[in-house]
Amino acid sequence: MIELRQISRDFEVGDQTVHALRAVDLEIRAGEYLSLMGPSGSGKSTLMHILGLLDRPTSGTYELDGKDVTALDDAAQAAVRRNEIGFVFQFFHLVPYLTAAENAELPLVLSGVDPAERRERVSAGLASLGLSERADHRPDQLSGGQRQRVAIARAMVSAPSVLLADEPTGNLDRSSGSEVIRLIEDLHEQRGLTLVIVTHDQEMGRRATRQISMVDGEVEEDRDGARP
Amino acid sequence: MLLAMSIGVAAVVVLTSLGESARRFVSDEFASLGTHLLMIAPGRTETSGGGPSMFAGDTPRDLTIRDAEAIGRSRLIDEVAPMVMAQAKVSWGGKERETPVLGGTASMRRIRGWTLAQGRFLPDGDPERDSGVCVIGSKIRRELFGPRQALGEWLKVGDRRCRVTGILAEEGRSIGMDVEELVVIPVAAALALMNRPGLTRIMATARSHEMMDRASEEILAIVKERHQGEEDVTIVTQDALLATFDRILAALTYTVGGIAGISLVVAGILIMNVMLVSVSQRTAEIGLLKALGAPRAQILRLFLVEATSLSVAGALLGLVLGVLSRVTILYFYPALPLTWPIWAIVAALATALAVGLGFGVIPARRAAELDPVAALSHH
Repeated sequence: MIELRQISRDFEVGDQTVHALRAVDLEIRAGEYLSLMGPSGSGKSTLMHILGLLDRPTSGTYELDGKDVTALDDAAQAAVRRNEIGFVFQFFHLVPYLTAAENAELPLVLSGVDPAERRERVSAGLASLGLSERADHRPDQLSGGQRQRVAIARAMVSAPSVLLADEPTGNLDRSSGSEVIRLIEDLHEQRGLTLVIVTHDQEMGRRATRQISMVDGEVEEDRDGARP
Repeated sequence: MLLAMSIGVAAVVVLTSLGESARRFVSDEFASLGTHLLMIAPGRTETSGGGPSMFAGDTPRDLTIRDAEAIGRSRLIDEVAPMVMAQAKVSWGGKERETPVLGGTASMRRIRGWTLAQGRFLPDGDPERDSGVCVIGSKIRRELFGPRQALGEWLKVGDRRCRVTGILAEEGRSIGMDVEELVVIPVAAALALMNRPGLTRIMATARSHEMMDRASEEILAIVKERHQGEEDVTIVTQDALLATFDRILAALTYTVGGIAGISLVVAGILIMNVMLVSVSQRTAEIGLLKALGAPRAQILRLFLVEATSLSVAGALLGLVLGVLSRVTILYFYPALPLTWPIWAIVAALATALAVGLGFGVIPARRAAELDPVAALSHH
């Protein structure tokens, strides 16, 4: 359960203040499938960064599972990112000199899980995404779709409750893009994951049960397919 | 950068090692003179006031051969050697050379521990008499006589002639004079040659190390009695000389080590630069780590560890370099008592570590403070 109340985010650009988000109120139920759409500069990415605790709002409160996470310090926020939130990025962000398995292992290394358990969880994760064969390949030996699947494995390896995907297919061709989307949707369905996808793509956005359109830092439209 | 660090560490280790070794070398050299040695010089050295002449009359009285003999009669004194040092022209067979000439007695050899390559040293006997003989260093022998026999030849020293009875063995340098270039003549002959009444020094050895202080007092008393109540000599003991040299060389070692230490700081700045470049190159990775839930402290630690490992790797390389240069130095100068002061090695490694940590802080902080959103969009 995510609750945003009166979230604003201002950026200082030169001597001007840009209001990327203007007092956004938003509730996301656990296990919801939600898409964030809107033109560039509409604030959808900023909203996602705030949801992912990569950015702090200028004002407003953000409660995750009843806990006010805006008040947490850096270390506690990092722990929330580690344990509760998974990220999938448009540009994959894999470490080029690490193998697929090592990339997927990273969050577990950061949270200090012991090596034997790490290996087990990583190979299970890679297997569920059909990447077992590719575990020892480095990113430059993988196709775009495979890279994004490694990134998904990395996001899921610490079993988060929320998956945030920022244009996950933006850098993929149509067929591997739809494959990646299907994988993410499967995870959402099988594990009851809260899924938030930021996208330009109307078609992809419409697959979500709840579709939010943003314009100028405000929620313009909130169509909830689950609630008529 | 690794190279800079290793050169810095190697420099610290090698230079301090050289300094230490010089100190050892000097003390060994002094020890070879015997630790019972007392040097008696004319004139009083005052630690305050306007100089010796204000207290001891217009000029200090000369030290004479008779003074030396009087000192030699003390029960506390083992050997005594009156000494005159000068420069003079030495010639044989049309060849001439300007060289240090030492006026001495038979006891001189025993005090200095000289050995002879050929012949005999000055004879024992009345030091007031000029026996008309001389002993020459090996270099003088080579330069004046070449391949010819030198023993028994008449050598001209200044305006006097003497017969060569001995040739000193080559034993390198002993403090203050080069034995190879020396011409030793009887002290009486040297006084006549220089046309002056006073000795340059009297060297004496105490019977034991424990008697040094008492011997020194007794010598003062003897001189005072003989010089109408004036203590117009200065006695320098082996220990005092040694302590002075020791202090000077220790200061030198620290200075040189300190200068070498500066190169470590330079290496540190290089490490900082490398780390800063590394941070900006890996901005996206740092952003990723943050997104994956690495707290600021963890990223800080990561980069500090990296900077420290770099500098420690450099330091270890430097130690290897130091070992190599030591081997090289020893190869060319096997006589040098090269030591490894443990403190120098520890200090060099500790400095390297501190430098790595210290100069790693700025880049590591920069990495830790990166804004993950901006870092992730960095390419």
